[in-house]
Amino acid sequence: MSTIILTTILGILILYLGFIKNKAILAPVAIAGLLITLFFAVNGWGSGYVYFHKMVIFDNFSIAFNISMIIITIIIFIFGIDYYKMMEMHVAEQYALMLFALTGAFLMTSFSNLIMLFLGIEILSIPLYILAGGKKFSFKSNEASFKYFMLGSFATAFFLFGIALVYGASATFYLPEIKIYIAQFNGHLPPMLLLGLLFILIGVAFKVAVAPFHFWSPDVYEGAPTLVTAFMATVVKTAGFASFYRLLGMGLLPLPMPLEKALWVMTGLSLLIGNIVAMKQGSFKRLLAYSSIAHSGFIMLAMLSQYDSSASVILYYTFVYSLAMVPLFIIFILVKRASNGHDHLSAFQGLFKKKPWIAVFMTILLMSLAGIPPTSGFMAKYQVFILSISAGYLAISVFAILMAVVGIYYYFNVVREVFTERDHLKPLIISKLNAALIIVCGVAVVLMGIFVWNIPI
Amino acid sequence: MILLLILLMPFITGLLLLLVRNAATVKLVALISAILNLLISLTLVYTVSATGYSVTWINSLGINFALGYDGISLVMILLTNLLFPFIVLAGFKRDQRQVPVLYALILFTQSALIGVFLAQNAFLFYVFWELTLIPLYFILLLWGGEHRRKITFKFFIYTLTGSLFLLFGIIFLYHLTPGLHTTDFSAFSQLNIPASTQVWLFWVLFIAFAIKMPVFPFHTWLPSTYTMAPTQGVMILAGVMTKMGIYGALRFLFPIIPLGVLFWQNTVIVLSLIGVIYASVIAFRQTNLKKLIAFSSMAHISLMVAAMFVLNYYSLQGLLFQVLSHGVIIVALFYMVTLIEEKSGTLELHQMGGIKLQAPNLAILFLIVVLGSIALPLTAGFVGEFLILAGLFKQSIWFAVFGGMTMILGAIYMLYVYQQVMLGEKRAEFKNMVDMRRMDYLFLIPLVLIILGLGIYPQPIFNMVEASVNTMRNLLLPFAGTLPTL
Repeated sequence: MSTIILTTILGILILYLGFIKNKAILAPVAIAGLLITLFFAVNGWGSGYVYFHKMVIFDNFSIAFNISMIIITIIIFIFGIDYYKMMEMHVAEQYALMLFALTGAFLMTSFSNLIMLFLGIEILSIPLYILAGGKKFSFKSNEASFKYFMLGSFATAFFLFGIALVYGASATFYLPEIKIYIAQFNGHLPPMLLLGLLFILIGVAFKVAVAPFHFWSPDVYEGAPTLVTAFMATVVKTAGFASFYRLLGMGLLPLPMPLEKALWVMTGLSLLIGNIVAMKQGSFKRLLAYSSIAHSGFIMLAMLSQYDSSASVILYYTFVYSLAMVPLFIIFILVKRASNGHDHLSAFQGLFKKKPWIAVFMTILLMSLAGIPPTSGFMAKYQVFILSISAGYLAISVFAILMAVVGIYYYFNVVREVFTERDHLKPLIISKLNAALIIVCGVAVVLMGIFVWNIPI
Repeated sequence: MILLLILLMPFITGLLLLLVRNAATVKLVALISAILNLLISLTLVYTVSATGYSVTWINSLGINFALGYDGISLVMILLTNLLFPFIVLAGFKRDQRQVPVLYALILFTQSALIGVFLAQNAFLFYVFWELTLIPLYFILLLWGGEHRRKITFKFFIYTLTGSLFLLFGIIFLYHLTPGLHTTDFSAFSQLNIPASTQVWLFWVLFIAFAIKMPVFPFHTWLPSTYTMAPTQGVMILAGVMTKMGIYGALRFLFPIIPLGVLFWQNTVIVLSLIGVIYASVIAFRQTNLKKLIAFSSMAHISLMVAAMFVLNYYSLQGLLFQVLSHGVIIVALFYMVTLIEEKSGTLELHQMGGIKLQAPNLAILFLIVVLGSIALPLTAGFVGEFLILAGLFKQSIWFAVFGGMTMILGAIYMLYVYQQVMLGEKRAEFKNMVDMRRMDYLFLIPLVLIILGLGIYPQPIFNMVEASVNTMRNLLLPFAGTLPTL
C-alpha cells in the first residue's frame, strides 16, 4: 500500500515542481522518490498485507512484480534525464503521468477483486493515452494517442461488460468466490458466465497485446515518443501479465475448456503474427512492437503449460526482457538524432564504427531478446520451454521454437545494420550517463543469464 | 582445474587483446596463448586418470558447470588446440583490419569450441555450441569476401534452426530423466526411451549435427560460406567446426538413442555416401580453387559420417583418426589456397598454371598436402580412409565401393588441381612471383611433418581412442539384432 501512496504523492509533487522553472530537479526528485518506494516495497516482503476488506493483497507475488516495475521505471527515468533536456514544455507532466501509470500498475499486480483490476487498468491506461500523444506537433503521435484511446476504451468497455455479466451470474466481484462459483459447474458453464469471463480475458489480453487483440500496438508504439514506448513495452506488459496470472490463478482455474482453447489460440497467433510480421518491418519501433507481441506469446505459453510453476518464470522473463528493451529504445533515439529523424533500421548503420562498445552491447541486448546463450533472454526462453515440454505440449513447443528462429532472423537483421559502415549526417552524441547505463544493462543481462535467479512466488 | 584453465585461457586472453593497440603484439600474444594451450592439453594425453571439474550452477534446473573428457573428446581437444596456433599464425605478416577484434574473436571461438568438447551435460554443451557461432558470425561478417552479409546470414539462420531443434530434444530428454531432472549425459544414457519415440527423436537431435558437418542434403550453406570466408574463418569452419558436429553426433546419438540410430543407420549412410559422390563430382567441375577445396572437404566429411554410422571397430578408429588428419590437411590446403591467391592474384583455375616454375618449394609442399588429401599411403589421410573403408566393407560391399569412390574421385580432382595450378607453361603475369617466405615455411613444414608422421606412425592416436571406441561399440551390441518396429 505504501508503494501506491508513495507513487501517487510523488506524481503530485512532481506536478507541482513543474511550476518551478528549473527542469533539472525533476528527474532527481522522481528517481529519489522511486528509490524510497523501492525501499518500502522490499520492506513489505513476506508480510502479506491486505487492504480494503481484502480487495487489495500485497503478497510476495505482487511485491516481486512491483519491485521489477520500479527498477525498470528508475532506469527509464535515468535515461529520461538526457531525453527531456531537449523538450521545452510539459516535462513535469510527463514524469507525473508515468508515475500515475505506475500506480495503476501496482494495483494491477495486487488485486483480488475485479473492480480493483478495472481500477488498476484504467489508472494505468489513461495517463498512457495522454503520454502517447506527447509529441503534440507530430501527426503520428496524435494518431497513436487517439487510436490507443479509442481502442483502449473499447477494450475497457468489453472488460466492464464482462464484469457485469460475471456479477450477474455469480453475485460477487471477489475472485476467490467467483472461483468457487465456477467450480460448481464442472466445466459446463452457463452462457452468461462464459461470455463474461471471455470478455474479461479479452480486456486484459488487449492490454498485453496478444493476438488477435494486438492491432493497436505497432501504430501506438511507433507514434508515441520513444521513451513512452519504452515504458509501454516494458512496465505495461509486466503489469498486464502479472494481472493476467493473478486473474487466472485466483479466479479462473481450472479453466473451462472453451476459455482454455481460446487462450491457446491466442498464444499460437501471437507467436505466429508477432514473428512473421516483424520480419518485414523496416521501422525499428514497429519491429520491436511486433517482437513484443511475439514475446507475449512466449509468456502465455509458459503460463498456460504449467500454471503453478510459471510465476517466477514470468517474473524473470518480463524483467530481463524489459532490461534489454529499454536501452535498445534509447540507442534508437540517439541514433535517430544523428540521422535527422530517420526512423528506418538503416539509421543504425555506422554505429560500430563510431561507438564500438555501444554497438557491442546493443548486439548483446539483441542476442538476449533473440534467445541466444549465455544471455538471460536465452535462460528465460529455456525455462519457458522446460515448462511447456515437461507438461507435454510438444507440438506448440516445436512451433514456438520455429518462431524463435524467425525471431533470430529479424533481430540479427538489426545487428547486421549496426555493423554496416556508413557516415552519419549529424554527429552521434551519447552522453556519458546514457553510455554507462547502457553498459550496466548489458552487463546485467549477461550476468542474469549466468546467475539465473528464481524467486519463489 | 586444468580443464578450466584450457577452457578459459583463450577467452581471457581474447578479452585482454581487445585493450591492446599494436597489431603485431596482438598476434604474438594470441599465438603464445594458443601454443601454451596446446602444451597444457598435451599433458592431458599422458595423465593416467581423467580429471573433471564440476561446480553447481543453477540448482533449480539441475544444471552443473561440469567439465570432463574421455578418449573422444581428447582427440577433439587436441585437434582444436593443435590447429589454433596455426590458425593464428595464418594471419602473421599479413595486413588485416582491426586486428585486436579479429584475434579476440578467434580466441573466443577457441574457448567456446573447447567448452563444447569438455561439457559433461547437455545444457552446457548447448550453451557452448551456440557460443561458437557468435564470434564466427562476426568474423565472417566483418572480414569476409563478397556478398558476406547475405551469405553469413544464411549460414547463421540455417545453423541456428538445427540448434533449436537440438534444444527441443535436450529439454525433451531432460523431462524424461527421473526425479530431480538433470541434463547430465550420464543420466541421459540411462534413460530407457521407447523405440517409437527414438525414431523421431533421432532426427530432432541429429538435424543440428547434420547441418553442421554437413550431411547431404543439409549442405547448401557450405560452398558459399567457405568461399566467402576469410582465411582464418574458413580454417576454423572446415578444420574444427565440422568435427564439432561429429562429436555432437557421437555424444548425443549413440549412448542415448541406440535404437533410433539402428533404425536410421542405413538411411544416413546412404545419404552420406551420396554426399561423398555428389561433392566429389561437383568439386571436379569447379573453376574456383577455394570452392573446389570446400567441396572436397565436404566429401571427406561425408565419408566420415558414413564411417560413424557403420558402427564397427575399424570405422570408428578410422573416424577418430581421420578427425585429426582431415583437420590438419584441410588447414594446410586452405592456407595454400590463400598463398596461391596472394601470389597469383586470382582463384580461378584457368588463370593459373606454371606456378611450379616460379615457386618450386611451394609446389613441393603443395604436392605433399595434395597427396595427403588423396590418401596416398604413408600420409595420414591414408590411415584414416583405409580404416574407414575397411569398416564400410565389413558392413556391405556396396558401401565400400561407393566410399572408395571418394579416394578415386579425390585423386581425380586433386591431381587436376595440381596440374592446373602448378604445372604447365610459364605465364607472363606471374613473372614477378616470389617463392614462399619464412613465415609460410613456419606454417607449412610442421603441418606436413604431422601429415607424414601420423601416416608413418599412427599408433599413439589409436592408443588414445581405444577405450572410447570399445565403449561406443559395446553400447550398441545389445541392440544389434533388433531393429525397432513402429
